[in-house]
Amino acid sequence: MKRALFMMCIIMLSSAAAMAESPGKGVFPYKTTVETLDNGLKVIMVPMASGGLVSYYSVVRTGSRDEVEPGHSGFAHFFEHMMFRGTKKYPASMYDRMVTEMGADANAYTTDDYTAYHMSFTKDDLEKVVEIESDRFQNLSYEEAAFQTEAGAVYGEYRKNISSPWMMLNEKMQATAFTAHTYKHTTMGFEADIKAMPTMYEYSKSFFTRYYRPENVVLLVAGDFDPAALMTMIRKYYGPWTRGYVTPVIPVEPPQKGERSATVSYTGKTLPILAISWKGERFDPSNKMMVAATLFGELAFGGNSDLYKSLVLKQQRLQMLEPDFGLNRDPNLWGVYAMVKNPADMAAIQTEIDKTIAMFQTTPVDAKKLSDLKSRMKYGFLMRLDTPERVAGGLARFVALTGGIEAVDQLYAMYDQVTPQDIMDAAKRFFVRNTRTVISLSGRN
Amino acid sequence: MTRRKNTSRLFALVLGALIMHGCGTSSSDKTVLYPVADDPTVSFRIWFKIGSQMDPPGKEGLALLTSAMLSEGGTAVNTYEQILEKLNPLAAGYTASTDKEMTIISGRTHKDNLEAYYTLFTDAILRPGFREDDFTRVKSDLLNGIEKQLRYSSDEELGKAALYDFIFAGTPYGHLDEGTVEGLKSITLDDVKAFYKTHYTKDAVVIGLGGGYDKALVDRLEKDLAALPAGTPAIPAAPAPEKIDGLHVTMVEKDCDATAISFGFPIDVLRGDADFFALALFNSWFGEHRNSSSHLYQVIREKRGMNYGDYSYIEMFPNGGRLQMPQPNTPRRRQIFEVWVRPVQHAQRHFALRAALRELKLAVEKGMSKEDFDLTKQFLTKYALHFASTTSERLGVAIDSRFYGISGDYIERYRKEIGALTLEQVNASIKKHLQCTDLKIAMVTKGAEQFKADLVANTPSPIVYTSPKPAEVLAEDKDIEVFPLSVKAENVRIVPVEQMFQK
Repeated sequence: MKRALFMMCIIMLSSAAAMAESPGKGVFPYKTTVETLDNGLKVIMVPMASGGLVSYYSVVRTGSRDEVEPGHSGFAHFFEHMMFRGTKKYPASMYDRMVTEMGADANAYTTDDYTAYHMSFTKDDLEKVVEIESDRFQNLSYEEAAFQTEAGAVYGEYRKNISSPWMMLNEKMQATAFTAHTYKHTTMGFEADIKAMPTMYEYSKSFFTRYYRPENVVLLVAGDFDPAALMTMIRKYYGPWTRGYVTPVIPVEPPQKGERSATVSYTGKTLPILAISWKGERFDPSNKMMVAATLFGELAFGGNSDLYKSLVLKQQRLQMLEPDFGLNRDPNLWGVYAMVKNPADMAAIQTEIDKTIAMFQTTPVDAKKLSDLKSRMKYGFLMRLDTPERVAGGLARFVALTGGIEAVDQLYAMYDQVTPQDIMDAAKRFFVRNTRTVISLSGRN
Repeated sequence: MTRRKNTSRLFALVLGALIMHGCGTSSSDKTVLYPVADDPTVSFRIWFKIGSQMDPPGKEGLALLTSAMLSEGGTAVNTYEQILEKLNPLAAGYTASTDKEMTIISGRTHKDNLEAYYTLFTDAILRPGFREDDFTRVKSDLLNGIEKQLRYSSDEELGKAALYDFIFAGTPYGHLDEGTVEGLKSITLDDVKAFYKTHYTKDAVVIGLGGGYDKALVDRLEKDLAALPAGTPAIPAAPAPEKIDGLHVTMVEKDCDATAISFGFPIDVLRGDADFFALALFNSWFGEHRNSSSHLYQVIREKRGMNYGDYSYIEMFPNGGRLQMPQPNTPRRRQIFEVWVRPVQHAQRHFALRAALRELKLAVEKGMSKEDFDLTKQFLTKYALHFASTTSERLGVAIDSRFYGISGDYIERYRKEIGALTLEQVNASIKKHLQCTDLKIAMVTKGAEQFKADLVANTPSPIVYTSPKPAEVLAEDKDIEVFPLSVKAENVRIVPVEQMFQK
């Protein structure tokens, strides 16, 4: 058995007349074709040799970030489940049967910033996939009883997750660090809201009407297919889809002006966990400080950092140390997690983390360490792009955050420009006491 | 190490990796090869015929701890920190996995970095450092994994592990690969060194290479690994789990919010056997892993909304909560038929167990319908294409084929065999290998004594829904809530969670 892992982040073209082709001049190696329908639906196509397999992602640029109404946390994720409940033309049983007949590997997931529906299948089934996916995105229809039954399954998902201390820790971190922005709840949502979901049938229809619209969705297709032929299918099946996206007003998080902290008591046994997070910036590959900050996270707290080598390998005071510097549509948290072997050592570990940050704020990082990291990130990214599923899956977040894939090349180009001085500047700018939140989780003895 | 920024080479890095079909192999007894023309990367899977079944009694965990020392410790040449430093710019790494029968040291690198990577990779196998500080760290990590994580952080993984221990108790398969708490605690660094010396031999190793390697690399690896000492580690006889008579239950008592349920029994069918493909087709219909086409999923989740999913297996499927497709290199000489019911509310645990066992009974009695058979056949012949998508995974599958004595491309054979099946073959195979009366059940729950009393008394377990359900579902519920389970009090064992995997 493999050893368990400990832990686990719009540019609308107005004309459909021309296909824009990216020749692959940046880090992203594939030639891509992009087209946008009149209704605003954007299609990104990445043809590649794949032995006849195709990966088809429908990226909805709505996630738990968009859950602005009180009492509706977790709804984007819940709605993801409802998308499998069928239409008048293809009721759930028929949709399931068609997917089964195709032998497709089909699923969906929801994050803070987006929801992705993905399917991997053989190229012979491409038109069928276009038809049934376009149908459910335009014509979803379900009865209240089915809606309530699915709410039970979602609560079951919550129950399977809640035994993890990491879930409790993340819930507390987000609830403490945010006061206004919807990032204050996890994608799963508050338990009370999940319990109340069966009563929200009407709301669910409004959710679909407002967010599942062509100008809020990007299709991302990779694999063995002909782009022109695919576009003919997409125009036929998605063409009638009407605009109507209602942009939610996401509350702006006021600047944090003082350190926050909280503790969590976990009912099971666990080594204590120290989580420290700082307010970050929204993803913007042209923002050098933001890009430098994400590199800082890896340099300061990653598996090759001096702190990791000292506290995990040499002194063995930590079971694990891991940075979490996500890329998000709005400013979210950048942080570090430390699982501490001796509960009495928690304060001292925090001091070590503080000292590391202070050092990065005053001393330029070794140039070779920085260039090694850039090399690793670039080649690591590329080596993961070896199947259509991994190409489409690897691009989905970038597509969700920016509406396109240009950000990939921009980000890696910006990585190349980051200097040791930039790392120092980013450390000084973001990783300060006033914007941080500290959560300590302890288990039962 | 060379740093590379040249775009055209980056482009080649990815493109080549994708042309991965139609490649023959010319493997020998000591090699399993999966060449991929023009692939700019090389995948390594070095197979040692060493497994947790070889753990000495009282030293459970020794095989896995030893392999972890190779992949997560220093070598005679470099400390572990130096290794991390050197691997960092290569965007490469290596890892070790130890299952019951097999240990695999695996990794992947770009060909440009092959020389630097090769040295680090082979040093890990041939020249382990076995430093005391690495040992302390790795052992502590493993202990934490059992004492804290497995016992407390995922009830469903706990339930599945409890089932395997329950079924294989008293055999070399009867403990976690990670070991037991007391076994791990008793292992010394000298034990690890001695185990390495006697088990990591040139007679126990098979070289697995995939991707864009050349013959010179095969020759070099063969030559270098020939430096390992001679010797053939003794492989225990295939496990013979005790015969199960009736329903036997282990309840793990724990302060938890939901009940995790797993049950199963040993089967005499292995990959490649005459009945394997027929049973695989049935299993796909009955409980395809994390797939809504699963019949159990339809009954328990889709119609009733009781949990997140319900699946069944005829082969070990580790990391099922995380993975969609089977992970290679966990082959077994004895498999179980296993049902995994994801956590349900405590109030519905009895009903959920009844529902799952009732479906098994119906399937055994009635077999598959023609319609379900045809649909599942169609599904599997295509779905199998997703089983192993990367070169490294396909190499892993080829190694498993060697283990099972299967020649040729396994996935192609799987598709062909599934395509050739008849309904009669499948239903005969169900009758021959499956049953619903003699099995072991492992559940993680709160209030186990009450549940035991309910089980033994066959107390009706009506289900209460918070939403309307169709009349046919409610009618079926009436049968499920009184579905008889013949559980004797003496066949129910309640174990506090802190005692699980202790020794």
